[in-house]
This record gives sequence, C-alpha cells and structure tokens, in this order.
Amino acid sequence: MINRRRFLTTSTLAAAALAAPGLVTRALAQGEALKIGVPVPISGAFAANGKFATIGAVMAAEEVAAAHGVQVSTLDLDTEGKPATAVRKVQDALAQDGVKLFAGGILSSESLAMGKEVERGGGAFMTTAGADEITGVDCNKATFRWSVPTYGAINETVRPIIDALPDAKKWYTITPQYVFGDGLLNAAKDVFAEKGIEHVGNSYHSLTDKEFSGYLTNAIAAQPDVLLLLNFGAQSSDTLRQAVSFGLKQRMTIVVAWASGLEQFEALGPDICEGVYFGAQYWHGADTALNRELVAKVQEKHGFNPNYSFAGSYICAKLLLEAAVKAGSPDGAGVAAALSGLKYQGLTGEEEIRAADHQVIKDYYLLKGKAKADMADKDDYAEVISAGKSFLSPEDAGCKMPA
Amino acid sequence: MIYLFQVLNGIGLGMLYFLLAVGLSVIFGLLQFVNFAHGAFYLLGAYLTYDLTMRGFSFWAAMPLATLIVAGIAALIEAVLLHRIYKLPHTFHILVTVGLALVVQELVIIAWGPLGGSVPAPDGLQGVVILGDFIYPQYRLFTIGFTAVLAGLLWWLLEGTRLGAIVRGGSESPANMALLGYNTLRINTAVFGFGAGLAGLAGALAAPIRGVEPFMGIEALSVAFVVVVIGGMGSYTGALVAGLLVGVVQSVMTTLWPEGARLMIYVGMALVIALMPRGLLGRA
Amino acid sequence: MNPLDKPYAQLALALLTVLVLPLFLKSGILATEILIFAMVVAACNLLLGYTGLLSFGQGIFFGIGTYVAGICLTRWSVPVPLVLAGAAVLGAATATLVGWLSIRRQGVYFVMLTLAFSQLFYFVAYTFSGVTGGDNGLLGVPRPSVGGTALNSPWSYYTFVAVCFVAVFALLVMVTQSTFGRTLLAIRENEGRAAAIGFPTKLFKLEAFAISGAVTAFGGALHAMLIGVAPLSNIEYHTSELILIMTIIGGSSSLFGSVLGAGFYLLLADALSTVWPRWLLLLGLVLVTVALFLQRGLWGLVERGYDLVFRRERAPETPAEEH
Repeated sequence: MINRRRFLTTSTLAAAALAAPGLVTRALAQGEALKIGVPVPISGAFAANGKFATIGAVMAAEEVAAAHGVQVSTLDLDTEGKPATAVRKVQDALAQDGVKLFAGGILSSESLAMGKEVERGGGAFMTTAGADEITGVDCNKATFRWSVPTYGAINETVRPIIDALPDAKKWYTITPQYVFGDGLLNAAKDVFAEKGIEHVGNSYHSLTDKEFSGYLTNAIAAQPDVLLLLNFGAQSSDTLRQAVSFGLKQRMTIVVAWASGLEQFEALGPDICEGVYFGAQYWHGADTALNRELVAKVQEKHGFNPNYSFAGSYICAKLLLEAAVKAGSPDGAGVAAALSGLKYQGLTGEEEIRAADHQVIKDYYLLKGKAKADMADKDDYAEVISAGKSFLSPEDAGCKMPA
Repeated sequence: MIYLFQVLNGIGLGMLYFLLAVGLSVIFGLLQFVNFAHGAFYLLGAYLTYDLTMRGFSFWAAMPLATLIVAGIAALIEAVLLHRIYKLPHTFHILVTVGLALVVQELVIIAWGPLGGSVPAPDGLQGVVILGDFIYPQYRLFTIGFTAVLAGLLWWLLEGTRLGAIVRGGSESPANMALLGYNTLRINTAVFGFGAGLAGLAGALAAPIRGVEPFMGIEALSVAFVVVVIGGMGSYTGALVAGLLVGVVQSVMTTLWPEGARLMIYVGMALVIALMPRGLLGRA
Repeated sequence: MNPLDKPYAQLALALLTVLVLPLFLKSGILATEILIFAMVVAACNLLLGYTGLLSFGQGIFFGIGTYVAGICLTRWSVPVPLVLAGAAVLGAATATLVGWLSIRRQGVYFVMLTLAFSQLFYFVAYTFSGVTGGDNGLLGVPRPSVGGTALNSPWSYYTFVAVCFVAVFALLVMVTQSTFGRTLLAIRENEGRAAAIGFPTKLFKLEAFAISGAVTAFGGALHAMLIGVAPLSNIEYHTSELILIMTIIGGSSSLFGSVLGAGFYLLLADALSTVWPRWLLLLGLVLVTVALFLQRGLWGLVERGYDLVFRRERAPETPAEEH
C-alpha cells in the first residue's frame, strides 16, 4: 500500500516535469508580442546579479510597451552561470519561442558563447559582460556590448588617480589569471609605461581563490604607493576586505578598477569602502537626465536605487526593443542596422553605438568611497570623482566584423 | 624574510583549515559517514555570526552562540534524518548530504539575500601588528592563538578523556559499545553535532576575515576534503598536520608561483595518495 | 529477475526513449542533452552498479571529450568520426590512469581520490588556458555534417546523437551481459572471493574504468558539438557531481535506470528553474527524498510498477526496502 502511494506521487512529479516545459512554451507563444529573452544567472554563484537584471529588463519592456503601444513580453532564462546551460536556453528560446532579442549575459564565458549562438540563430544580443573579445576578436554582427572594455576601465581609473596623486610613483597589481584579468593588467602596464610609473609587482591568482592574505603579503613586501585590484565581483570584495584588515588603507591608496557598483558597496559596507577608489560602469548618483529619471522611477516602483545589474539589463533591453520597434521586426539584421551608429542620451549621458564593432561608447566612472558620517542616505556610498570615455579603435581591439 | 612571513601567514590559514577539517574527520571516524554538508555548517556558522553582530551582539557573544546553534541544528538533523542512512552505501550519504547542502545554501539566500556582507573584527582586535617590514592583522593573530588552544583542548578531549575513548570505541565496534551499556544512537547524535559545531565555529572565526557570502560553503568543503584526504580520515593529528601543510604550501606558493598555487595543492594531494594511500597519518 | 532487466528489454526501452522524446518534448536541444547525459550516466553506472566503484571523477572524462572536440574542430578541422574516436581513446586512457591510481583504495577513500583528481584536472584545464581557452572556453565548435549538410537544426542533430546513443547503449548492455560484465558483478558482490577464484580483479576494474571513460568522453564531445562551445565548466567538479547524482536517482541496478535518471534530472531542473529562482532548494529536497524512500532509484519504481501490474499474485521480493 505504502509502496503504491509512493509510486503515484512520484510519477505525478515526473509527469509534471515532463509536461512543464511544453506548458511554459505555449503560454509564451501566444499573441504577437515583441519578445525579449533575459539570459542571466538566476541561480548559482552570480544569483545576486541575475535577480536585479531580470527586474531591470521587465521595467524596460513595460516602458517600451507603453511608449509604442506594442505588446512586449520578457522571458527569464536562468543560465546558472554556466555557458552550457546559457547556450541551451538561448537555443531553445530561439527555436521554440521565436525569441530573437536577448539582453543579458553577466559572465564573460556565457556571453561569448551566447553571442555566437544568437548570431547563428539570426537574432540580436546585447550584454554587459567584461571580456574584451566580445567586441574584439570574437565580435560578430549580432552581438552588442554596453559595458566599457578593459582598456577604458583602466584609463578612466588609473590616469585620473595618477594625475591626482603625483607622488604615488609605485604601483602594485593583483590580477585574476585569465583573459579578462590580463586585459586589465596589460592596459594598466601601458599606462604605467607612458606615465613613468614604476610597476613594483603583480600577483596572479586563480578564479577560485578566496584567501588573499598571501598575495597581500607580497604586495606589502613591494612597498607600493598604490594597490590596484584587477579582479571583480566577490573576489575583489574579498581582496579589499582582507587588504583593509591588513591595515593597507593607512599605508597606501587602494583602487578597485572594475567594481560592480552599488551591490558591491552594500556587501562591503561603508567602513571598508571609505577612501578607496572604485572604477564603475554605472552609478545611481551620476548626474544625467536619463539616470535621474530612472532612479526616480525605480524608487517609486521598487523602493530601491538601481544598481549596475539592474541598469545594465534595463538599458540593453530598452535599446534592443526600441531598435526592433524602429525596424518593424525583431529580426537580427534589422535590429543590428537600427542600433549601429545610434547616438542617444543614455544613463551615462551621451552614448553612441559604434558601428564597426558594436561597442557602446559611454562614460566610465571613478568613484571614491565616502565616510559613513558623510553619507546623505543609505546608498550614498561614494562620490563621483571623474567620468570619461576611453576606447581602443575597432582595429586595435581586434574586431573584424564579418560581413 | 618574505618566505618566513608567508610561513607565518600559512600557519594562520592552516589552523582554520584544521578546525574545518577535524570535524569532518571526527564524523567520518566515528560514523563512517561521508558528509558533503560539512561546508553548509561552516556557511551557517558564518552567517549566524554576521546576523548576530548586525543585531548588536558583540563578536564574543556571537561566536559561541553561532557555534552552539549550528551544533544544535546539526544534531537535530542527525537525530531526525541522518541516523536512518548510516547503514546504507556511501552513495546515499552523498546524495542526502549534497541535498542538505543545497537546501541550507538556498535557505541562506532566502534569509539573508544573495549579496553577502562584512563582519567587522571585534573591538580591540581591529588593528595590525607591525613586524619589521611586514604587517599582520591582530585578529588573524588572535585566531592562530585561539585555534591553537582549541586544538590542544580537542586533543585532550579526543585522546585523553573517557568521551574520546567512547568515540573511538564506537568507531571500532559499535556492538561492543552497546553491550557496555552506552547509547550509541545518542553518542552518534552528539558527535555529529560536535563535528558540525566545529565547522560552524570555523565559519564564525572566518567571518571577520573574509566576510560572508552564500557560496563560501562549497569552497570550504573542498578545502576540508583536501586536508582530510592528505591527513588521513579519522585522524586528529593528520588533520592538524595536513591543515598546516596545506596552509603553508598555499601561502608560500603565492610568492613562489602564484599561477600554480591551487594546482600544486592538488598535485601534492595526488602525490601523497599515490605514495601513502591512507594519507599521512591515516589509520588502517 | 524482473523481465524488464533482460538485455533485450533494456535495449527496447532505450529505443523507445529515442522515439518517444520527440513526441513529448518541444525542445530538440533538451532532448539531445538528455540522450547525451543518458549515455554518460549509464557509463557511470557501469562503475557504480556493476563494479561497485563510486566515481566522483566522471567530469574529468566528460571535460576531456569536450576539449578534444573543441580543439580538433576549431583549430584543425578534423573529421567528426575521428574526433569522436579520439575523444573515446583519450577518455579511456585518462580513465585508466585515474582508475589505476584510485582503485588502490576502497570505499570512501576511493571516492575522495576520484574527487581529488577531478579538482586536479579542473586546475590543469584552468591553468593551461592556451590549450583549453581557460575560463572563456573554446568558442565556435561546429555541428557535424552528414552528406554535405551541417546538422544545424536541433532535431537533425538529435537524430545523429540518437544513433550514437543507441549504439553506445547496446554496447554497454553487451558489456554487462558478457563474461566480463558478470565478473564485474562478482567483484562487486565479494571482491575477496573473486580474487581467490583467480580473477585479476584490479585489471577488471581498470577495464571497466576505461570503458566508462571512453563513453563519457564520447558524450562530452557530442555535448561540445551540441552547444557549440567547449566550456571550462564541463570539467568542473560539479559536472562529476551531476553525473553521479543522476546515476543514483536513476537507480544503479539497471542501465536503463540511468537513462531515467538523466531524463528526470534534466527535465526537473528545466521545469523548476522557470518556476522559482531558488529551485535548487527543491532539488535538494528531491535528493534527500530519493535517498530515504527510493533507494533503488527510479528504476526500482519501474520494477515495482511492473510487478503491481503484471504479477500481482507474487509477494514483494525486496525486503531490503521495507524499512
């Protein structure tokens, strides 16, 4: 008897599992809505980013729908932070749900893989991932990237600091050992050479490291004036936390070249961030028309300030959807044509989508952490020190756009 | 000089690794149970410390409290769930504990969000100690001393007391223990809670060093496994020696050949196993 | 023995799966992934169910297959049949090496050893990024072509994988039915006795490892061609864990159980992840439930269901499960 009941419950579970994918697909296939897929890590180690990215994309979809009187639906695709899952979900969305537009991809590996897939499927993809290859050697006609590549991130953080601190002549770097980290490191080395800065050492670490005391000890031994952290996400938080506990903030200037923005400040807290420089793709305090508007809207609707994951996903989704409205179809070629060369007022001010490599030309921010006492509200962690645009030419970035 | 300092730093790391691994090792030694949820208890210990300090508890209250809560939760899980599966093949130990670890991790995200946070070092230990050209945080120095005292206490507990004898007796012959009138079920529950509590304590101690985030458990688990495999399953001394060894190797490698630091640990582990399949100090 | 456990029944069920999946699933990619994992999981089962070896290192071989396909197809344009053969050979060779080092120990020590190797191989792949592409992986792995046309549509590639799957599954059934397979079972039941009779038990275990590694790497190569990329995550320890979990859920007493395990896991994950961001919590509960109540896995359910329907008169034969 017990056995039989067990069998029935489990088989209904199995049957539900079998039926569910079909059901979901059918529900989304009805009507003639403009569809946009949001492939981001909703579960797994980057779940924090995915959570805000999905809300951001929904907000963009609602706005475009209201502005143009079209029906827009978003489809959340959980990439789990794994390229294999990301590609499968994108393939499915292309083939089953007829989705052609994709805004998302937070990790470099998944974004590179998805970009190829969307190109093959005749869609358009816009991402905020960091790897230079996305609009460099692996650029393709379907893939666009909103975030500033490593060259700009370094030039817009390292240069202003060198100018502001003329006595800081010795710099030490801590770099994750993979293509993205090397991109930042090489860009930094070029700036050092040009400005006559002594690069007193670098420590490579692996992507799985969480313990940085050994690397910090190397840095202390080199006695630098500035410690430049070239890792990102949880690793840069860990490094910074541990650097502060080693008392390095009192001994040298610390710079995080590629910070995630508000979400990172929240995880670190003001005590650690105070006096530290951060490079950022987006900051909710930035003084531009569209950004002020967005902050007000998000505050009203969700009661929080937009962070980088939210803003990046919002703007990517919005650009793609408006391009599709303009082209009259979500088909990749039309959308790409509408996006290429587009100049618009974006979240960071004047932005332009460079036609040659599909890189968005936009500002990168240098922030400096505020003391807890100076914070106007709970999210007012930092002040904007400078902002600017630095980009390699498409040729130097290595992009040969396929015809 | 820098190597000397890296060795000191490595000892600091190694003591935490020891604390993390010895619980796993004790649980394995007594219960012959493979615990893939060990990292989850570490995670829980760290988050409880984070939560309690955020609520205004001092770290000195939060640390033991977090440890006790983790031990209590673990004992409860053991009594309700795990004791049913000891007799099953290892495959089911893995399945259940992997499942448990997932549940704990997701519950942590639900309760505290996916972002993570910082835990400040306790008052009085926030500064640094300056040793010539080098700097070391006071709190890290404290953890070395604290875990060293703990290690001594544990050694005495496991090797010198009746409790330790019971634990070891239980691992060698559960039937005899039952004949001698000991309630092996209750001993198992206590030992499991104890081992998990040690993981929770390691998490609590690590929180001011590296903050908290929901995926720190997975990483801790892999470190604990490496230490236990190198040191030998169920061996207290093995966990201590291997923990220190891994910590020192990791720290020194960050100066010598940072790109290969992680790789070397696993190569080292493969070598130890190839030459001494039971680990450095494992019992037969 | 349950008639469903007979080799022809197993093979028939595998064929049926291949034919039924397109009727039930809209996604040809998901269906293909199920078949790929089904063969990989069956290969894991050859070790777990038939040899009693709980290998936590299957991701190594899967990753190696992925990289063989990635490197050969993106850099040198090697013909696909050669790539698949090469993946299988390299998978077998690696498995022999890992097996040789690991089977020196038994039980939980063996598990830990394979786990250690899976970490080791991950860091090798990560460190030597010139060969593997490191974290970015190898991009642009093409689909195979048959008769001059690339199998770019999901269902055409499904057909290709389905043929491979049936062939591999038949091969595994043959292996388990051979004298070799029966000896493996004898080793699993009582290694000491098998050794006393004069079987070179270590050699047998190694051969099982080699076959398992070959099939797993073969599956890894098919997977790279499916998703068009050879990612670092395929050689991660999580892949090993995934394969093992699918094997246990499916049930280790039958090869077709592995097909059920792979299908169940992938469909469940696909369905749950669209429902709730914290779906891993539910998955964790499923794993605990299976371990407590379904120790013979999904295949155990199938057997019991069969007994209920066709052989009602007979008393339950599985007292081991009644507690």
